[in-house]
Amino acid sequence: MSRLQGPSSLKRKRPELNSPVQSLTEHERILYDVIRSKQDIGIWTRDMKKEAKLPDNVVNKSLKALQVKNLIKEVVNIQNKGRKHFMATGFEPSKEISGGAWYLEGSLDTEFIESLRQLCKRQIEKKGVATLEEVTDLINSYPAFNVDVTKQQIEEILRTLIWDNAIMEVKSNGMGEFASIPFGKVCYRYVSKGGLGGEPRAGALASIPCGVCPRISHCTPDGVISPKTCVYYQKWLDF
Amino acid sequence: MAQLHVPKNPTQPSSSVSHSLHSQKPKKQALTTAMVSQYGIKYAVHIITNHFGPLVAKVCDCLLKKGPLPLREIVRYTELSETLVRNCLLVLIQHNCLQPFLLEEEGGFGEVNKVSSLYMVLFDNVLHRVRFSKFMAIVSQEFNKLCVDLIETLLQHGRLSSEQIFDGFRDSTEGSSSGGMEALQENIHKLVMARYVERCPISEPFLALPSEEEAAPARRRGAKSAKVFLEPETLEQRVLAAAVPPEGMRFSFELNPEIGADREKAENSSTGDKRKLDALESGTDGGFVDKQVVLWRVNCEEFTRRLRHKICIEIVRTRLDDEAATVFTAMLNASRSEEKKIKTASSVPLSENSIYAEVIKSEKGRNMTLDYVISVLVGLSSSPPFVRVVDNSYSIDYKHIIEVAQTDEVESIVYKKYGKDAYRMFRLLSKTGRFLETDKISDSIFVEKKETANILSKMWQGDYLQMEKLVAGPTQFLLWKVNMINLRERVLDDMFHASLNLSLRVAYELEQQKEILHLGVDGPMKEKYEKLKKVRFLLESSRMKLDDAIMIFHDF
Repeated sequence: MSRLQGPSSLKRKRPELNSPVQSLTEHERILYDVIRSKQDIGIWTRDMKKEAKLPDNVVNKSLKALQVKNLIKEVVNIQNKGRKHFMATGFEPSKEISGGAWYLEGSLDTEFIESLRQLCKRQIEKKGVATLEEVTDLINSYPAFNVDVTKQQIEEILRTLIWDNAIMEVKSNGMGEFASIPFGKVCYRYVSKGGLGGEPRAGALASIPCGVCPRISHCTPDGVISPKTCVYYQKWLDF
Repeated sequence: MAQLHVPKNPTQPSSSVSHSLHSQKPKKQALTTAMVSQYGIKYAVHIITNHFGPLVAKVCDCLLKKGPLPLREIVRYTELSETLVRNCLLVLIQHNCLQPFLLEEEGGFGEVNKVSSLYMVLFDNVLHRVRFSKFMAIVSQEFNKLCVDLIETLLQHGRLSSEQIFDGFRDSTEGSSSGGMEALQENIHKLVMARYVERCPISEPFLALPSEEEAAPARRRGAKSAKVFLEPETLEQRVLAAAVPPEGMRFSFELNPEIGADREKAENSSTGDKRKLDALESGTDGGFVDKQVVLWRVNCEEFTRRLRHKICIEIVRTRLDDEAATVFTAMLNASRSEEKKIKTASSVPLSENSIYAEVIKSEKGRNMTLDYVISVLVGLSSSPPFVRVVDNSYSIDYKHIIEVAQTDEVESIVYKKYGKDAYRMFRLLSKTGRFLETDKISDSIFVEKKETANILSKMWQGDYLQMEKLVAGPTQFLLWKVNMINLRERVLDDMFHASLNLSLRVAYELEQQKEILHLGVDGPMKEKYEKLKKVRFLLESSRMKLDDAIMIFHDF
């Protein structure tokens, strides 16, 4: 389920503490109480077996029953994806378990992240310079998203654009392009001199085969790997 | 092609005690001299081989690897005869690639201090030999053809006396008239005044034992104008400082109205530059000769400074725009006369009015208003700040501009070699400036943890990152960091390696295709000839562009 469509999953739901618990066997109740006590952290099957002090087969059977009755759900623990991890249905996985706002079902929601990145980049490119608040407000006014993003989340997105060298973090000096921004306030400026397709401009060494050669440390003037025998040079000069 | 696999040493798990372990990756080969890296030496020796032959290159190689040596040690290591070694040293001195000097050393117990005559290769001047075309391009933009010819002559011969220059010129068509000789003098004078030509250094400067104060650690000296960080002086720096003639003499060329008429009057008598050459030829070590002749040579320092300016302008133009480059150029012109060292961290402070006065002198800046120039200065002082503002005065921040250029170069290599995600991780780490744990990097860059660890490991294997392991109980954390200082040295060595490779490939292509070259452009292999021409152009222009980058990492 993408955050671009459908209900929001960024906001934490309140645990349904008052929902009626259907009739449970004694073992099911013990297990359910153990799982529910872990709230939004949830519990690994092996740990719940130890805590409930129930044999494996009983636990497995009870887990199935609780799932059928929609009292518990299996969630992905981002710290240990291989383990079966359960939680009471009334709770949303905490950040430690889910990985945070950027994870969906145990994996990075790359589609959502990339959409936000491109949108932020376009907004800053249009304005030239923008503050974090301006970008956040612009994103939240965008109709395609059904979720509200926080300033902190947008700041994380903007940081990735800084690492991309698509924007840079600057402080307003109150003049010129910063005229509408208070002096000293942190803001973000579009970097207009990138290379083709968002790539950095190739430097002198990166423009020749030697600069990116995986065998440069084994290359010698008269060795088996040498500029005379180099296949990368051959390809580069074959135009 | 053979595939060689050099595995990294496997990291060893530690005990349960929390501590950090340094990565057990094998270190790269240490620098073979204090100043010059492994491929720096190979590249320099290659240049000398091409220009002066293998014997001179052998002597050069010995001195670069072993450091400054006396004659007898050079003979011992090279296993050449003393006569041959002397001749090789002469060639290197003639072409300003070698500086002899006298070094005072402490004597043993109860003995007086001894003085040794040593020879030191000037690595920077060896590298300059591939830049002669750039030097001539600079002169051709500022002066007439005669000046360009003069510079070319000096570059070809290394060093010449005034008389040798005049004698050579007399034989040419322009020199046959007395007006021609006067013009020659005037042009030499112009080049000396512009500091493109200088008197040769003292033939054998004397380095006394440093006093206790001189041996103390470096101090940071903050001048009001140009801030210069004093690193501990290397032997090379001490020798060069001792060899340079006094400022007033270094760029002093007296015009002689009776040029050519009287040989004695045409020569100045202050320095004995030819002394060492004669001493070597006569077989005496540091002996004195009565004849003292002033020798002139190209001042590579000034050309390096101009190239630094030129490259800084291009960096500003690339990062900002043409207008910023115009204002920046004006600032360079306004502060040039105050600039003393190539590696000055910043220029003298300039007022808005003095910058504006310089801007409107140029063709591109002629129509700029003061307000516009001020707005451009604001842009130049924004992030990344190429210009610093203090109390309404503006200084060029050379150090920062060069660092920006170096970082751009390194980052572009990381991008091409390891991909976009690696580029982001590298930028995150280099801007953070400290160790970061894998998960933290993964969360910041939005790349899955396993993939993050893979990419970081590849960059570490390629020596682009430092890695440390932190063990806390059963958990092991990997920490990563960019060490830009070490990385710059490594990248510079790779640049030397690449330059050497480009040069070798050119020679190889020409060797392979010599038949085509022989047949010429109109021969039956016209197409192949054209292809060879393009190949050669690509290789040599890449080499020149790479040389600009070497200057950014080494000379600036």
